[in-house]
Amino acid sequence: MIQVTDIHKTYHSGDTSVYALRGVSLDIDAGEFVAIAGPSGSGKSTLLNILGCLDHPDQGTVSVDGREMVQLDSRGRADYRRHNLGFVFQNFNLIPVLTAFENVAFSLNLLNIPEQEITDRTMAILREVGLEGMEHRRPSRLSGGQQQRVAIARALVKNPAIILADEPTANLDSETGQAILETMRTLNERHGTTFIFSTHDPMVMEFSRRLVRLQDGRVAGGAT
Amino acid sequence: MKLKQIVSLAGKNLLRHRRRTIITAGAVAVGLLMFILVDSLLTGIEEESNRNLIWFETGAAQVIHTGYLAERNDRPLKYAIDDAAEVEAELESAGLSATSRIVFSGELIVFKDPFPEDGSVMVTVYGIDPEDDDDVYHLPQTVSAGDFLEPGTNEALLGAWLAEDIGAEVGYPITIVTRTRQGFYQTIDLEVAGILNTPNPVINRTAVFMPEGVAADYLQMGGAATEISVASELGRTLPELTREMQQQIAGAPNLRVADWRTLAADAVAIAEAKESSSGIVLLLVFIIAAVGVSNTVLMSTLERTQELGMMRAIGMRDREVMTTLLVEAAGIGLLGGIIGIVLGAGGVALMVERGIDYGSLIRDTNVGYRVTQVIYGAWNLPTFGRALVVGVVISVVTAFVPVRRAVRMSVIDSLRRTS
Repeated sequence: MIQVTDIHKTYHSGDTSVYALRGVSLDIDAGEFVAIAGPSGSGKSTLLNILGCLDHPDQGTVSVDGREMVQLDSRGRADYRRHNLGFVFQNFNLIPVLTAFENVAFSLNLLNIPEQEITDRTMAILREVGLEGMEHRRPSRLSGGQQQRVAIARALVKNPAIILADEPTANLDSETGQAILETMRTLNERHGTTFIFSTHDPMVMEFSRRLVRLQDGRVAGGAT
Repeated sequence: MKLKQIVSLAGKNLLRHRRRTIITAGAVAVGLLMFILVDSLLTGIEEESNRNLIWFETGAAQVIHTGYLAERNDRPLKYAIDDAAEVEAELESAGLSATSRIVFSGELIVFKDPFPEDGSVMVTVYGIDPEDDDDVYHLPQTVSAGDFLEPGTNEALLGAWLAEDIGAEVGYPITIVTRTRQGFYQTIDLEVAGILNTPNPVINRTAVFMPEGVAADYLQMGGAATEISVASELGRTLPELTREMQQQIAGAPNLRVADWRTLAADAVAIAEAKESSSGIVLLLVFIIAAVGVSNTVLMSTLERTQELGMMRAIGMRDREVMTTLLVEAAGIGLLGGIIGIVLGAGGVALMVERGIDYGSLIRDTNVGYRVTQVIYGAWNLPTFGRALVVGVVISVVTAFVPVRRAVRMSVIDSLRRTS
């Protein structure tokens, strides 16, 4: 489903060049639960950004279901993300002035679907991630784990093909982190959504069904 | 994303930092308040000035000689209307209120005893018909000392400031040196019958009034007058009035009709200057809003860089992000506009009711406007609407740069940026 072929990415800062990715190739099938692991600077966040159409590779191709992503313009990438991708961020990135319900519904608002359907789907996913009864709370009145559940619900509510999670448990204690991972894996099994997350946490790596290791911008294991 | 959702999100973001929103809206409100007050004052001055011009100097319109207007400031008697009584009768036969005047320049000479000292001053002398001048003008109501003129007497009325400057009182003798219609020097001896304190500073400062018949004899006018003034008519617009007058003088090719705007070109020029004054105030409003709103929006976008990055990451288009931020700016402008209008309405009500006394300022300065003492504001409702629109538009325009900057940053950089 996702084919990454010979991706290169270099960042320039003044006279210094940082080689983030050096010829990464990777295949990920639909419905996989994949962890991209590696130490800091190994290129996992860069790879996740490229898979999420947030960044361009300098060289190489990324295709999803046979559709070439690298060629898309800014609006095309935004539309692709809007319809096909869900994001879960390390620090949750919820909108503080919106309630849990409104944060989740925000993803659906972008799709211009009827309000009743937005309400039904939002309530259903909040129930699924265990936040029933907390839908009117703002992020400031939710714990870190609850906030991350809202973020997962926001990513999942639009039924995306792929959810990209950048170190989703990094800001959570181990117990909450494990609960979040269990939630993600349950949702992966139930919905068949592809989960790809970056991590350097051994617990997360254990939870994954497939582990892709990156080292110095190259795949060190688990590419296929 | 629907506009309703964008507006809802923008509203919630404005409430996020209530104090900052209110302070910025307050700055916009102060600017718009200034705009409304200045406009009200200038409108009030203009309305009163126009009224005082019509009531004391020009009437609504005049029949004059075709050559008179170009040299009007020199008050040339050579461009007089020969059969003034006949023309006046023609106008009155059409139902118009008309009166003739002989207006000329002269040197007013006074001598010590009874005056405090010898002296002379250039004045404008108005030969008026004491019996029907008030069909057009409003002089009798402004007599502050003595009496109004009697026909056929060698009497004069002096403007109040002129009388004060030369130390004239009722009963004092004055002499006016001028030239007759044929150009010969003439001396006219008069006695001050009364003092006029009008709301028109030009009249107060330089005018001497005397009976038209007496003036005609001294100046050898032979039945001629320099102008025939017509009063404004209820239910008749100025163009309709002048058209009617034009029809009445159609058989006299050397005569023309000039409305008060044409006759008072200096006042019209002042009105045009008023437009630029309003423009300067608007510029001030723009600067206030530019600094206030752009700073607020800049702070808001900087604080929410990560949040904006997230919104773009999950598929919100740059245009939608920009719209959300610009709607926030418009909200600040709208709030500022509403506060400005409410405060402005209070200020205008106060100025309409009480006015501002600037008599001491205008007494020695010719500002062009025909107003004295207290100047009052006027309600100009379109300005309130304009203020609201200006508040919103300026806020949106000045927010554009920081908003564009926010969406020009790459999504990744936005997400990485800490608040």
